[in-house]
Amino acid sequence: MTEAWWVSVIKAVVIVNVVLLTFAYMTLVERKVMGRMQLRYGPNRTGPFGLLQPIADLVKLLRKESFFPAASRDALYLAAPVISATTALAAFAVIPFGAGWTIFGQDVAGQIIDVPIALILLFALGSLGVYGFIIGGWASESKYALLGSMRTCAQLVSYEVSLALSVLGVVIMGQSLSLTEIVAKQDATIWFVVPQIVGLLTFFIAGTAETNRAPFDLPEAEQELVAGYHTEYGGMRFGLFQMAEYINLITLSALCVTLFFAGWHGPFLPGPIWFVLKLLAILFVFIWMRTTLPRLRYDQLMRFGWKVLLPIATVNAVATAFFVVLID
Amino acid sequence: MLDKWLPFLIYGSLALAIPASMIGMSFLFATKPQRRSRARMLPFESGVSTGPPRQQRFTISFYLTAMLFIVFDIEIVFLYPLAVILNDLAWFAFLELLFFVAILVVAYVYVWRKGALEWQ
Repeated sequence: MTEAWWVSVIKAVVIVNVVLLTFAYMTLVERKVMGRMQLRYGPNRTGPFGLLQPIADLVKLLRKESFFPAASRDALYLAAPVISATTALAAFAVIPFGAGWTIFGQDVAGQIIDVPIALILLFALGSLGVYGFIIGGWASESKYALLGSMRTCAQLVSYEVSLALSVLGVVIMGQSLSLTEIVAKQDATIWFVVPQIVGLLTFFIAGTAETNRAPFDLPEAEQELVAGYHTEYGGMRFGLFQMAEYINLITLSALCVTLFFAGWHGPFLPGPIWFVLKLLAILFVFIWMRTTLPRLRYDQLMRFGWKVLLPIATVNAVATAFFVVLID
Repeated sequence: MLDKWLPFLIYGSLALAIPASMIGMSFLFATKPQRRSRARMLPFESGVSTGPPRQQRFTISFYLTAMLFIVFDIEIVFLYPLAVILNDLAWFAFLELLFFVAILVVAYVYVWRKGALEWQ
């Protein structure tokens, strides 16, 4: 199935906007849910139920003074948020959200791009995003920003190993790196959450650390680091870093749905709706975790990543391989 | 080949254009401050200004982590292709996997015993 180029253009515009809208309302939902969990209202002044809050935030961020720290390296200082946000947005391209349709005689695929190396492409783009964080912290020439970016970098590379290893079991069972084939395989056999429950837990914990979410939000531990790598950023440039983080979170949740919960498959409802429902459920768990769990200390974080998560992920991969070969 | 990657090219350029235009807009719509004071342009130091940390040193642990990452990331790079064809090669592939992981476990135990996994 091949698309006409203009179908791809329309679809790209739609998907980018849907992802950005999800990001905007994710910030609102997060504040609302956190508010309710802490027995307060959360934002409720802008529009009904505070629904216009993300738009008000956007206008506020755009109107902020264009600000440079005196010692910053200007070009890199400006490029860093763009790198982070671009790689975060681009990574969503490989996520399948539907079976593909024929609309008015035009083929429309259920994802932006279906390549045999989809999973590796996603991880590669995610790793490139680290450059944005470290360049941003370094180029702003500030003590806290530099410390924050070093921490971010060390944390991201540490947990990336466990993250990539935790999906190895899924790759072995799905016999492919293509996300569409993994989804199809799950529909044909069983949702991989059942045989790969250990893999799911490892993936989820490592993913929380990869996206700098509580309880692993050490890079922006405000009590010790002010704000981490974006201490010297303000206005929309700070907004872009926030955008990168939230979109990374959305992509990771989407990947979780794809790898362990059979992606867009489900009874009665059409594919994309199932996909969004599952995605929202996972995102809710992330918010829930943020309100529930206290932050770790940095040495605990690193020890946990290397001494607990990595062995578990490796053993899970080897055990999966053993059973897959045994059953065949 | 290019046909297959064209949608990604379109989507990717859009993903680049949106953040870049937002940076542009952060200049365009920015409010001008009444006057620029020097103190505002200094990096945030929470009181004591020591200037930018040009010569700052970091704990050795950061470098160790980077090296460990390279070692174990190579593991993943080799294991992924094997995982895809594991079913076709059956026991041969599994033994290869076991052999490969065993070598890594030796390195892992060594690193653990040396205390490189502890954050100092």
